Amino acid sequence: MNQTLQIGRLLRASTTSCVVGCKVTQREAPALGSLVRIPIDSQTGISIYGMISDIHVDDDGLVRQLVTAEGVSDEVILDNRNNRNVPLEISVIFCGHETGGKVSHLLPPRPPLTLDQIFLCTEEEVFAFTLPPRFGYFRHLLRANDIPVGEILASHLQQTAPIHQQKGNPGWGREAGRELITALRDDYPVLIDVLRALADAGLLSDVIAARSGGEL
Amino acid sequence: MSDTPASQTKKQPVGYVVGGGLKENLRVRLTASPQSVQEGAFVVIDSKNWRFYGLVTDLQLGATDPRFADEQSEGRLSPELADLLLGQTLYTNLEVMPQLMMDRGPEPDSPQYLEWARAHADQETRPLAVKTIPAHHAHVRMADAGDIAEVFGEPGKDGNFVIGYTREQNHPICIDLDKMVQRSSGIFGATGTGKSFLTRIILAGLIKRDKASILVFDMHNEYGLDDTASDTGESVKGLRSRFGASKVQVVGLGSGTTIRGQTPDYHLVIGEKDILPEDIEMLTHELNLKDTTPTTLEALHRSFGNDWFNAFKKMNTNGRIKDEEGKSIPAPGSVDEWATESGVNVMAAEGLRSKLGRVFDRSYIMENPAANTLKEIIIALQKGRHIVLSFGNFETDLDYLLVTNLITRRIREEWEKMTDEFRSKKGTEPRPLAIVVEEAHKLLNREMAFQTTFSTIARELRKYYVTLLVIDQRPSQIYDEVMSQLGTRITGWLGDDSDIAAVLSGLAAKDSLRGMLSRLQPKEEVLMLGWSMPMPMLVRTRRYDDRFWQDLLGKENKGTAEEILKNLGW
Repeated sequence: MNQTLQIGRLLRASTTSCVVGCKVTQREAPALGSLVRIPIDSQTGISIYGMISDIHVDDDGLVRQLVTAEGVSDEVILDNRNNRNVPLEISVIFCGHETGGKVSHLLPPRPPLTLDQIFLCTEEEVFAFTLPPRFGYFRHLLRANDIPVGEILASHLQQTAPIHQQKGNPGWGREAGRELITALRDDYPVLIDVLRALADAGLLSDVIAARSGGEL
Repeated sequence: MSDTPASQTKKQPVGYVVGGGLKENLRVRLTASPQSVQEGAFVVIDSKNWRFYGLVTDLQLGATDPRFADEQSEGRLSPELADLLLGQTLYTNLEVMPQLMMDRGPEPDSPQYLEWARAHADQETRPLAVKTIPAHHAHVRMADAGDIAEVFGEPGKDGNFVIGYTREQNHPICIDLDKMVQRSSGIFGATGTGKSFLTRIILAGLIKRDKASILVFDMHNEYGLDDTASDTGESVKGLRSRFGASKVQVVGLGSGTTIRGQTPDYHLVIGEKDILPEDIEMLTHELNLKDTTPTTLEALHRSFGNDWFNAFKKMNTNGRIKDEEGKSIPAPGSVDEWATESGVNVMAAEGLRSKLGRVFDRSYIMENPAANTLKEIIIALQKGRHIVLSFGNFETDLDYLLVTNLITRRIREEWEKMTDEFRSKKGTEPRPLAIVVEEAHKLLNREMAFQTTFSTIARELRKYYVTLLVIDQRPSQIYDEVMSQLGTRITGWLGDDSDIAAVLSGLAAKDSLRGMLSRLQPKEEVLMLGWSMPMPMLVRTRRYDDRFWQDLLGKENKGTAEEILKNLGW
């Protein structure tokens, strides 16, 4: 994840979220909870940061025919996937933006425009954006409706904690967990949902293991 | 929910203020382990220029949502996550009763501090009764020895006497003995809670301080000479044994009385002329006297003056005889004869004579005592000696009521006279006197309080330099008006609700203190409140042992042989 990977172009957007159209294969598709970056003004250096909250695979006429056909060959399936008429749609919730190298967890000043390019964040970008005590970006996700907040956060923490661990910040996962509990302690159902997702993802157990091994 | 013990975090906060007020007490979110702070703990809250002192009166478990408390998350989440969750959603709140506040000025390292210090250079900052509250999130910490000395005084300075220690951190707590004897005081506690030991400690402090004479009505012969503890069987040093007869004199009631086989310094024998009708009236309940008694006694006093007691004692109850003419007449020297002559109801007089038989029999009442020991006691007290009046084998309520009231009446007369002379510039200032009364409810109950001198002392005699130290296990039996006059109240564990209510009567914070009082340890823990304490305080009392005497009397007291050997390494 050290190299910038372009995953698609913008289909539609608002001030809080956008939908990206992709043609990537399943193997290259970005993961739920990943951070993405959308440069919107190369002159002022403004980039929008967002988190993938949904990946939607829509059907088209050919798929509808093939689904019920018998003896569809692997080549046909592969061709259908690579050369789809309808793109893969990735929903992104905006989490912050960067202006002139300064990261902010406020919403972007304006939404991106159609066909703007979307890139997966590099490890350096993820590290810089999520460096504690900067957990303000959680709030954008926590106030979104109709998304599996617990699953998305579990996935995000699962991807991000190892980056911080590598960069000498092993306590990040714990701090993130603490932040989430503080933010959600008055919302018992959501907090328990999030914590169970974190527990299923084995989050923080790495920290425990490292501690018991005397690494911390 | 950190597990840091408060004792390890000197000057470190144990929590922060989250709400409350003066009426409902302050709520403090505890950040240390709940077990590190106990009910009754003395805490300090710094908020801007003010330092607040308060008592922890309650600890309560709380949760941001009750479901966090209901569900055991430890089994469903990883230990790390569960720890994080519980630390943020479950908490302990302290209820802190603010009592005092003190202007401490700006932070010492701030630029404003010098200006403040200059402005207050000639003013001594003293803790005041609390009038405002600390701000939200003000840090709360356990009081250290310096804070306690700030409020309760430095040990050994002026009249400060170490009466015990804080429960958690063992910091010494002083009581101002000079203030204590300025008003009447009370020591309360159920039986076996250490009242007698605490009384010994306080009496020893008062005698050592020597600002007031002490008269102890020692009903159970505990205080003067060496005794053996009823529960441990260990030897307990008496006040005279430690201070010597030049300071403390033990007086035995009755001629030839011994106190547990030891001879007292002298004996108290009461002359019959010293007994007045009102001394008998006070025994109405004890002797089951009738309503006609005051009239009969008045007639006796009218007929015989101060010899009434002796004259009545010598009257016979032979009733009537027949004269030469066969006419029924009163027998010579009989009660009937006197009653008939004096126009008193014969039946009432004979009934009274019969009931007073118990008083006439008392061997400590004599017609012509060899010495006026009652006068000697008064003189000794006036001269600054301390008297322990041991009742020896005269342990009935009759003896106690009669003797204590008789002596106290004389004391009242003498001290009132001395005070009047002093105020009219004719005499010297009277020596303050504290009268120690055990089983006080017998003398100060609702029925007796109006008749005895004790209630007058409790109510009025502070102005005449006489105060009471009442010791009792049933404070609810003491008349409310007397209880309300007790300036300092020291109370051990009390089991009865009415006793707890009586001890706390008249106090603003009685609701907060009630729970604390009912949960005191059965021994060696007391709640001290009132005039000589700047604020109510829960105290683990010091032990009445050789170490106590060594601290009190200094090097001259060498301790027991066992201690000396121990100190030498044997």
